[in-house]
Order: sequence, then C-alpha cells, then structure tokens
Amino acid sequence: QRIRSQNIVPCTVSQLLAAEQVDETFRIRDVEISQVTIMGIIRHAEKAPTNILYKVDDMTAAPMDVRQWVDTDEAGGENVVVPPGTYVKVAGHLRSFQNKKSLVAFKIMPLENMNEFTTHILEIVNAHMILRKNLMSASRVPQSFSSTGIGDVGGYGGGGSLPVNGLTAHQSQVLNLIKNCPVPEGMSLQELKLQLHNMSMSTIKQAVEFLSSEGHIYSTVDDDHYKSTDAE
Amino acid sequence: MEDVGGVPRPRIATGHLAQHIGKPVCFVGRVEKIHPTGKLFVLSDGEGKHTTVELSEPLDEEISGVLEVVGRVTNQATIMCMSYVQFREDKSPFDLELYNEALKIIHEFPEYFPFG
Repeated sequence: QRIRSQNIVPCTVSQLLAAEQVDETFRIRDVEISQVTIMGIIRHAEKAPTNILYKVDDMTAAPMDVRQWVDTDEAGGENVVVPPGTYVKVAGHLRSFQNKKSLVAFKIMPLENMNEFTTHILEIVNAHMILRKNLMSASRVPQSFSSTGIGDVGGYGGGGSLPVNGLTAHQSQVLNLIKNCPVPEGMSLQELKLQLHNMSMSTIKQAVEFLSSEGHIYSTVDDDHYKSTDAE
Repeated sequence: MEDVGGVPRPRIATGHLAQHIGKPVCFVGRVEKIHPTGKLFVLSDGEGKHTTVELSEPLDEEISGVLEVVGRVTNQATIMCMSYVQFREDKSPFDLELYNEALKIIHEFPEYFPFG
C-alpha cells in the first residue's frame, strides 16, 4: 500500500540526500514525499535567464542546490535574487538528476524572525517522529500528517496531543481501533478502555465525542458502541 | 583558511565542545566580549556558558548580538572560526534559551535530525 504524505514535510538537507528514490518518487521512512521545506543560509546565488540557482546550507550536509524558475513573461518582474548570507525558508519539490538531488522551489522567503529557525528544527523532529510512528503502527490506511504551513509558527501541545491528520494522537488511536473492529455492532467504550491502557475513560469519551461530531464514527446499538464511517 | 562548508557541522552548545574536539561544528551564541586584538571573542550559549572563538585574521567589523559560528573545535575546546553570520534581531530578539532547548532535542533524537 502506498503511503503518501499529502502535506509539506519539513526536512534537513541530510534527510533529503538520504531519501530513497523509486522511479519517479522519493521516500523517507517509507512515506512518499514530494513537497518539502528546508531552512538554511544562502551560500551562493547565480542568476540565469530562466532561473536562479541557489546553494542553501543548513549545516546538516553540504549546501543543496535550489532552483527557482523565473517568470520571464512577468512585466517588469525581475525576480530579486536573495543575497548570500541570508537565512531563508524554501518550499519546493525534491528532484534528482544523474543521482544528484536538488530542490525546485516554489517559494523562497528570507527569515525575518530567526526564532522561526528554532521552530523549524523542532518541526523537523516532530514530523519525522510522526512519520516513523505511522510506519510502526498497524494502520493500513494511508496516513497523511500535518506539518505547519509556510510561515506558520505552529503551536504544539504536550505529550499525546500532537496533531496528526487533523486528529490528535489519542483521537487517531481510538479511530484506528474502531475502524479495525470487525463485529457488526462496532466497538464498545469498555473494549476501547481495555485496549488503550494509558488512556482514561474520560479521554476516550472525549475522543469518541469528537470523532462522532466530525463524522468519522457513528453509534450503533447504543451510545456505548461505535463503528467507523470509512469503509475498510 | 580551512573551508568546512561542505561537510556536516553539528549544532552544539558549550557543554558539547569536549565531545567534538577536532571536529567541524556550528555554534550559536551571544557576543560577550571581544579581545582588543580582534582575533578572539567570547560567546555565551543558551545556558549562559561561555565559548571562546578564535580567528586566523582579526575581525574587520563590529560584531554584537547573536552570532552563528562555523569552525573546528581545537584541543583547548575553543572554536577556530571559519565563518560567522550575525542573526538578525531587527524585528524580533532571538530566543537563545529556546534554541538551546531545541539543541537538546536534536542531540537526543539524532535519528530525526541527522548531521551527515
């Protein structure tokens, strides 16, 4: 089953260089990735008629080639070259040509607040940890995960409340158990509590309430039994 | 001057210097003092611990605020600087303590933030 990330994955250059290529796609920890963000300092900038080639350095490896296509039709639109020595956030697609990886950027933004850099470091660890957790979990459903969008300085909950899929870890766990339950009347709250040792009944009930209101699950024989709305 | 710009340069704090003797590193800290010769300056990390940075050529400009230094750790646990960059703080001050916390995390989870 192909697991594809539908979001933009924050990465280090070293992670991009280590990504496996299978035909036209790239995988990190078995998740297909395409759009990525990196943050680093521009070491070199070279302007050509149709594109600007930067070398962006985030200290995790040698600087990465980042190409930004210039819109030659844009009236008076000279793409401004970001000068070397500037810290930038790059959003783009991973490419490989003759075994050399590079990025094609759709957005390059100088950082105005260097605290975004610290946040990016944390977002990378978070995103890749979640990637690994998804790989380890028995879920057969393709998981996309959320990393905060461009320019976002995301807020993070502690412990079990990191958002994945728009769902917290607790909600995801409850939903997965309900989805995988084969019996016609679905899964009961008591069974959920038996399986989820680390979750209190009130946490489980909160998760069930949320999932139900979002339409992921519905009650069956009574308010204690739930089935998933997604066909497995 | 040696160029270590093409290799991984782990981000470290003062406490990590001893484990990186002889290796290229990246150190972020606040300028505390500059030696009159301009060939030496002291940075403090997010825990307030000091690291000495040496230069092969004297500084040719004023430095202040938060600096990101790339260089090699000497046997004396100082950093021989190859290059440095000043972090901009014109719009917002840089939270060095938070950066230090982030360093702890990337050192605890190198599998999710690999250098090299």
